[in-house]
Amino acid sequence: MARYLARRLGQAFLVVAGVVMLTFAVMRLVPGDPAVAFAGPKATPEQLAAARERFGLDDPIPLQFVTYVRDLFTGDWGTSLRTRQPVRDDLYLAFPASLELVGAALVVAVVVGIPIGVLAARYKTKFPDFGVRFTSMLAVSVPVFWLALAMQLVFAGHLGWFSIAGEYDSSLDTTSPLTLWTNITLVDALITGNWPIFSSTLEHLVLPALVVAAYPTGVIAQMTRAALIEESGQDHARLERALGFGETSILTRFALRPALSPVLSLIALVFAYSIVNGFLVEAVFNWPGLGRYAAESIKSLDTPAIAGVTLLVALVYTLANLVVDLLQGVVDPRARAR
Amino acid sequence: MRWHKRLLVAGVTSVLALTASACAGGQVRGGGGTPQPQPSGSQPATTQTNDSTFVYVPNLDVVTDWDPATSYSNEIIALSNIYEGLTRYNSETRKAEPRLATEWTSANDGKEWTFKLRPGVKFHSGATMDAEAAKKAIERTIEKKGGAAYIWDAVDTIEAVDASTLKFTLKYATPLDLVASSGYAAYIYDVDAVDPDGKTTAGTGPYTIDSWQKGKETELTLKAFDGYWGGWRPEQYKKVAFRVTPEITTAWQLLQNGEVNFVQRLNPQLFQQAGTTAKVQTAQVPSFQNLLVLFNTASGPTKDERVRQALQAAIDYDGLIAALKGSATKASGLVPQGLLGHATGMEPKQDLAKAQELLADAGYGPDLPELKLSLTYAQGDEDQKLLVTLLSSTLKKLNVTLQAKPMTWNAQWDLGKKQGQDIFVMYWYPDYPDAYSWFVNVFKSAEKPQFNLSYLKNAGIDAAIDALPQLTATDQLKADMAYQDLQKKIIQEQAAVAVPYVQTYQRALTDDIQGYVDNPAYPNVVFFYDLKRAS
Repeated sequence: MARYLARRLGQAFLVVAGVVMLTFAVMRLVPGDPAVAFAGPKATPEQLAAARERFGLDDPIPLQFVTYVRDLFTGDWGTSLRTRQPVRDDLYLAFPASLELVGAALVVAVVVGIPIGVLAARYKTKFPDFGVRFTSMLAVSVPVFWLALAMQLVFAGHLGWFSIAGEYDSSLDTTSPLTLWTNITLVDALITGNWPIFSSTLEHLVLPALVVAAYPTGVIAQMTRAALIEESGQDHARLERALGFGETSILTRFALRPALSPVLSLIALVFAYSIVNGFLVEAVFNWPGLGRYAAESIKSLDTPAIAGVTLLVALVYTLANLVVDLLQGVVDPRARAR
Repeated sequence: MRWHKRLLVAGVTSVLALTASACAGGQVRGGGGTPQPQPSGSQPATTQTNDSTFVYVPNLDVVTDWDPATSYSNEIIALSNIYEGLTRYNSETRKAEPRLATEWTSANDGKEWTFKLRPGVKFHSGATMDAEAAKKAIERTIEKKGGAAYIWDAVDTIEAVDASTLKFTLKYATPLDLVASSGYAAYIYDVDAVDPDGKTTAGTGPYTIDSWQKGKETELTLKAFDGYWGGWRPEQYKKVAFRVTPEITTAWQLLQNGEVNFVQRLNPQLFQQAGTTAKVQTAQVPSFQNLLVLFNTASGPTKDERVRQALQAAIDYDGLIAALKGSATKASGLVPQGLLGHATGMEPKQDLAKAQELLADAGYGPDLPELKLSLTYAQGDEDQKLLVTLLSSTLKKLNVTLQAKPMTWNAQWDLGKKQGQDIFVMYWYPDYPDAYSWFVNVFKSAEKPQFNLSYLKNAGIDAAIDALPQLTATDQLKADMAYQDLQKKIIQEQAAVAVPYVQTYQRALTDDIQGYVDNPAYPNVVFFYDLKRAS
């Protein structure tokens, strides 16, 4: 186990080191002078020199890299050229909002995806199966940006059922200010009993969460269906059929549990994917998360911020994979040999 | 039972990610020193007739720098309502108007300026705004050397003659009343109360900070400053919110729903739609930002004046304006309309026959050798791309190949400083409402060019440029004529530049807003104090 642990940790370290080198290279290879971006296009030569000194841009590249890595370890992720705040502080604000959105989307995906997968498997090649397969195919393949705009137009614009954009009604900041603990609005509102903000956030969350949920729901439904059909063809299912159990009973009582195993490992992967997939959704619904932050940073060529987002997403990916791998190693010794 | 463990894995992953992000334990949102909203009962009930909040939608974050000395970015839309200068520019009269100064005089050929200050003005901090305080503020701005502090470069000494008299002695003549009306670096503030973190404000303006939440959708809210020298009327807006919405279609939907009052920028299609939408009004005004197509006068094929003139004649100005669908107006000369020095009758026109003739004279053309030109423009700027596409296809017919390269501003600028291209496309706008900015920055000779990217070197033009500030400060009529003359020299005689268009601001507002005037001297600023709500 110790060797397995060391190997997996080593691999994760290599991935993170690679990403760190890549982000540094991108920051330095992008043509143009970050000092100009910080000091403004009309900056005087003295202001430019001050900015160059502040960011150590006159140092040799290897020294800049060493400083960059040292700063990352000490928690200094650089200063955003656009917001002028430490990138780390910006990410602390933006990332929890993305987690909130993706978390809600995954709940929807599991609650909807698994049952309709079961339904499709139960009525294989019949009308419900056809409907589920068609809809899940559509959910997986429709461009998320288009879906976001369409949902916004119909359910927020024309029907007025939900809010068009934002995280919650900002006038509540005056009437019932929220105490922050995790920076995740929904969680903070819940633990501090701030019901006005809680309900307003839920109402604002519905549409973007549904849009982000489209892809994972489709994938989970298809995966559940496929796994169940495979399980129901196994020997144990034949035995159960011989013992007089109905098809529904076989699927839900016996086949579902083993079939869910691949589905659940899929969720961990879809989680990381959805953070990136949510970027466009955040832009449309003005959700103050990582996506909006990344989009604005890219627009204003804020290289330290772009590097920060890239690094954070890479860390989340790596961490998610590492934890899944390690726990798999604990519960299933065969995994250690892989 | 294996799936239980899988679920555990997913759960642990999420918890780890949550823990990594959970950092703000126990802070009240908008806290961290940001002032908390006051209970609504803190203002006299009689002035609360208009109790609605004016919601402004910018496309970008509002505040990056709270210091009124160094601020040089988007926060102008908020700071212009929190801070005031000695004067404010009126784009209709083209003159500076009283603000914190009620009157001013200049002497010694524009080298001495005396401002009389408005009595009874208090800073948000409670301190009195007098000549000593104003002197300290401007001196601090100059010392900080940040942002647009250079606008005070002409100032030698500042003297507080008495509590209400502020006297400037200049190194060289400058229209200081215009400088003092700048949207950047000209604010008068209480130097002892300046807070770079935006916890407090130190201005004299009608609004102060209500809450500031960096990175949040409603980033900033302002509230009326009870002690404002102008007083308050019931129908004015006492509360303002800035709701950052980068996605234009989302902003448009919010406006249609009446959730917001003012959208800073729509695209031409949506703007057209806005013009015919109920409960929405639109406003458009040419800005002070124009596009410059600078030709390399120092080296390469464009060193030949005939080539430059041919290029000027090849640009399809009308086609470009039509394609920009209202987001630009035709330029006439270098100085946009609304500034002293604007030249009428200099609208350029496409003339392909003339272009071909000039090129033939220079030895290029359809039956002559091919001419290859390199051009750089701003990456991601669709308007510039349109110009380049149109120009490129026109030139193709004249046997001229345009090698156009979209670049980031930084990269383009770096290349331009090394004379690395034949044609350089860029925008220009002045920091304070004075046309001098185009001439001194873009067309005055320099050993190491910063913005003189046509590399024009002409002693006569330099001398005329140097004379502009004094003329503007002492004899505006003569200054106007000098500007017109210079534009003819630079555009027609030297053919150093072509000016295809001036950008147009296109705004959409709810129709219950009254009193909105778009002042291009203060880009994207809404002076909320001037507005009222139709009942």
